[in-house]
Amino acid sequence: MQLIELDSKLAECLIEDIEIDMSNVNWFAANMCSPLGAILYKSSQNLNTVSITNFNPKVESILTRNGFLCNYGRPAKVDAQETTIKYFRLEPADDRFFGDYMEKYLVGKGIPQMSAGLTKKFMESIFEIFSNAAIHSNTELGIFTCGQYFPNKHRLDFTIADLGMGIRRNIFETRGLDLSAENAIDWAVKGKNTTKTGNIPGGLGLKLLREFIELNTGRIQIISDKGYWEQQNDAQIVTRSFEHAFPGTVVNIEINASDTRSYCLKSELQSDDIF
Amino acid sequence: MSEQIKISVYEVVGSGLCVASDDGQKVYDRIAAALREGRKVKLSFLNVDSLTSAFLNAAIGQLYSEFKEEEIKSNLTVSEMVQDDLALLKRVVETAKEYFKDPERLFAARREAVGDNDD
Repeated sequence: MQLIELDSKLAECLIEDIEIDMSNVNWFAANMCSPLGAILYKSSQNLNTVSITNFNPKVESILTRNGFLCNYGRPAKVDAQETTIKYFRLEPADDRFFGDYMEKYLVGKGIPQMSAGLTKKFMESIFEIFSNAAIHSNTELGIFTCGQYFPNKHRLDFTIADLGMGIRRNIFETRGLDLSAENAIDWAVKGKNTTKTGNIPGGLGLKLLREFIELNTGRIQIISDKGYWEQQNDAQIVTRSFEHAFPGTVVNIEINASDTRSYCLKSELQSDDIF
Repeated sequence: MSEQIKISVYEVVGSGLCVASDDGQKVYDRIAAALREGRKVKLSFLNVDSLTSAFLNAAIGQLYSEFKEEEIKSNLTVSEMVQDDLALLKRVVETAKEYFKDPERLFAARREAVGDNDD
């Protein structure tokens, strides 16, 4: 992954002027601004000055419309096409702001005309991912979020990146399991596995996400440390490892926005049959 | 004094967006305080728009660290929840029961709860 290679190159820079030359980039999925923004933010912590130059006009347009380039000296522009969910860096405690942000940029906008049931499930999935990052990553540099609707494919992608400890290290420190990075992700998304150790139980958020994405024939991609894990739209799992590590965790979900499934339960649950 | 205390999740959180673990903790604090006083609790989800497992784990799953299952079953009821949210809550409760089956976890949690109450 080119972004991971970029991070490993930037890791050596301290108090430097860094120019990211985009002349060879003809297409950039705008939701990938989340991991790119995380990498550049981490670099700026080393007092590096980052500039991004030589854009393909289409790439520049979309990275301007989603607000990403506001961080790198470009003026803000309105997204008249309403296909972007704005790029933001948030603190773990910003969950309420995040909720407002999702409502502002998703609900009632042109992106996309999803059914009420699908919108609710999608929003809750995004909140589960944000909560996971806020609770588990111990990030001190924030959480980076961004989304993009692809009208021709009827697909909506949303990506959340953090600069935290990563899943592999979290499992090792809390559970003593020394797993490879990709096996660590696989462990975290399965069964009742959780790294929670205190009074508040856990181990459900990623499973709920997987179930929803499978029903929706969407896709989940998780990158953490050197590991890559993907649940494809046919529910097949693919894993691999990278040579270099991402400095945290990235979760991307892609949903089929034209899905008309109601997502309402067929069986009736009684409120006195819960506990 | 009323025997049953009604707690509005919307009122405790201050909005219908019930997604953060910290907000769930505030709901837990109210429920736990009432149960410790021996009261029955009716938890209303009226006007709640979005729920996550992270919120419900903190608000309700955590109760199984301090209170016995029978105690929760007979003293806590929920109302005005849509079917999807009820299903999510059921999953959270099942996960919490499983989580606290580990005696070490349960012991540590109860010791922490007693410590907190002593403060």
